[in-house]
Amino acid sequence: MTPRVAIVGSGLGGLVVYATLRHGGLLAPGEIAVFGDHRHPAAAWRPRAEAIRQRLMRSESDGHCSPTSFPGLAAREALRRRDLAPLVLSVCDRYRPTVPDFLRHVDELRERSGWDESLVPGRVERVRAVDGGFEVDGHGPFRHVVLAPGHPGLARPPHLERDPRAVHAYEPHEYAASVAVVGAGMAAATEWLNALAAGAEVVSVRRREPARRPLNVARHLFTKRGLAAFHAAPRAGRAALLRGFGEPSFPPGRSWDAPVEQAVREGRFRVEPEPNGVAQVICATGFKRGFGHDALLARLVAEHGLDTEGRWIVLADDSTVPALTDGTRTLSLAGVPAQWAFPAADTLVGMKVAARHFRRRVESCPTR
Amino acid sequence: MSYTLRGRLETRLAAALVPLLVAAALSPVLHKWWPLELVGLMVGIGLVLDAGLYHRLLPYQPGWLALPQGLLELGLTLAAARALELNAPLRPALALFAGAWLLLQLLAHAGLPLLRLSWPDDGGELGLAGTALRAAAPVALLAVLGIAWAVEPPTVRLATGEHRGPLVLDHAQTLVGEPGAVVRGGIVITADDVTVRNVTVLGGRHGIEVQNAESVELENVVVEGAELDGIHVRRSQVEIRDCSIRSLPGAFTQGIDISFAFDLGPSLVERCTVVGGLEGIVTHFAHALIRDNRVRNTELRAITMTEMSMGRIEDNDVGAAVGVGIFCGDYSHCEIDGNSVADVAPDLSSGDRQRQGVAILSHFGAEAELRGNEIVRSPGGIAASWDATIEHE
Repeated sequence: MTPRVAIVGSGLGGLVVYATLRHGGLLAPGEIAVFGDHRHPAAAWRPRAEAIRQRLMRSESDGHCSPTSFPGLAAREALRRRDLAPLVLSVCDRYRPTVPDFLRHVDELRERSGWDESLVPGRVERVRAVDGGFEVDGHGPFRHVVLAPGHPGLARPPHLERDPRAVHAYEPHEYAASVAVVGAGMAAATEWLNALAAGAEVVSVRRREPARRPLNVARHLFTKRGLAAFHAAPRAGRAALLRGFGEPSFPPGRSWDAPVEQAVREGRFRVEPEPNGVAQVICATGFKRGFGHDALLARLVAEHGLDTEGRWIVLADDSTVPALTDGTRTLSLAGVPAQWAFPAADTLVGMKVAARHFRRRVESCPTR
Repeated sequence: MSYTLRGRLETRLAAALVPLLVAAALSPVLHKWWPLELVGLMVGIGLVLDAGLYHRLLPYQPGWLALPQGLLELGLTLAAARALELNAPLRPALALFAGAWLLLQLLAHAGLPLLRLSWPDDGGELGLAGTALRAAAPVALLAVLGIAWAVEPPTVRLATGEHRGPLVLDHAQTLVGEPGAVVRGGIVITADDVTVRNVTVLGGRHGIEVQNAESVELENVVVEGAELDGIHVRRSQVEIRDCSIRSLPGAFTQGIDISFAFDLGPSLVERCTVVGGLEGIVTHFAHALIRDNRVRNTELRAITMTEMSMGRIEDNDVGAAVGVGIFCGDYSHCEIDGNSVADVAPDLSSGDRQRQGVAILSHFGAEAELRGNEIVRSPGGIAASWDATIEHE
């Protein structure tokens, strides 16, 4: 069977798209080719979570990779533990799955979906529009292609790039006696607690105060109703909104605040503009932003003259690339590069939204 | 979940399909329109709240909010049902509402996300199916309510003042008395689906006579001075609530007599006050539930379930009877629960040993199950005779 659909990227975004295409038997494993340099979908994500000692997901019950939102992780945990507590927490928006539970779910889905049968190992350098679809590094052509390349790399403040004390939060590390944590998002907040728990003195280096909200972006922006205004905004306004959504934030709650308050009282936590004389600098500064940092996307844009706005590729509301999508073929983006269509595209829920749109395109194509 | 307005309406309509079908099946079985009318009301109120309140107030709706929303909708539905005089019995109506609410939750949290992958992303919208639902729903709703209204028995108002009887009701209707409406000479009911409400009946051979009719409801009726039975029911199924019957002293008068209806659905006598007469409430060869009544000053027995009747006598207040308080006789099966029986006097003139102030008597092959009855100043206590049994639980 010749694959007609290609997924470029073998991370969590790729798995979400794959599982969505496999749902209900729409496509067989032989009809999908997954290109990527990792066999395990969580291979890139897991070391980062381990590096910051992450125990709970920021996402809620819906933060999983299965194609249907039900059963969510809360329902699965309730069933496994024979306990209604996860469901009760979930209806109150208080449920946070544990990282091991999430990884177990990824393993199960990988096994059940036939992921490994569709995997084509190797990093894709080029995707090119050709007659009848798209060529992926000489493979194909594929009628429908979705690019889910993930984050383009870790971001470090330029002045710390050569600093021997500096380590990125998402790289393996221990904690020195005095630690400066640069950044103010979820990873930074996690590192404050980690370093304090390790007995370190912590300096928070940040340009602005973090927002406190449960999810990456405001909850209504995950929904059609909330997205209506975003999609209706003019291009410049939309880019400004996206820049605003990217502000650092972490969830509210005593479990975050109490250890920091205690450390402030003990003189072990303070906010300063620079790391100054600390022994270790942890860059909790997230990822590089924009398609220009991703060689595959940058080449795609350059070779096909794709429409861009600032650091974003301009997409249709269903995450497709308008210039390369028509009734017979689809080029779609999923994950972080799809933010132009869905501000929370880098979340699991956002990946599912893109995946469902892509599935709809594949379903409606008479020659799929 | 963050619903769009369209998503809210379509989800509501999708969840209403099953309750509507259940109600459509129940109505002909029960010979009642209230299930359909109630579901129509529930859906209507839900849609109005969706469009007018929820959509404005709730751009995002956490799962727990379904509970207060359900209680609000329940309150409004019950109030509307009362205002529109649906006469839906409370417990079945609550069960129907609860079932519909539960189904809505199951659909919203599990069913629809499974059936339609993008249901959560689309704010609850159902695509083409939703469009069809929205188009069909108003038509279906109007059709159901219209049919229900059209075939609803007509309501006849009985004006204040005295009307000469016997008044014969031989087709389905609701007869509602204005305050002070009196029928002298009795009412005769010979048709199904007749309701008589708020009427006083004076005299007549029987105060109210029901013959060969089902789904008859007598509510808040007063019967006084009938020559024989206050309410006389033959081969019929009735529900009698909140009545007051005062019988003439005499050899053959009975407050309420329900007989020869074993093959029909159970009858109900509830919250009635029966004073005087030979027997207060009596069934022969019938299914019946006799509940929360007050029976006084009877000369033979206060409450009787006999001749292979079957049913429950519960939470009644029996007092000042002569001979026997509660009687379960002639191979009947009676559950006698939570009654208060007081001051049953011996019938000394009869010379009958089984009439010497017996509070509860099981007689002639009858089987009585007793639970939690209170017996006061009744010298005969509880007794069984002629192969009858009494079982205490």
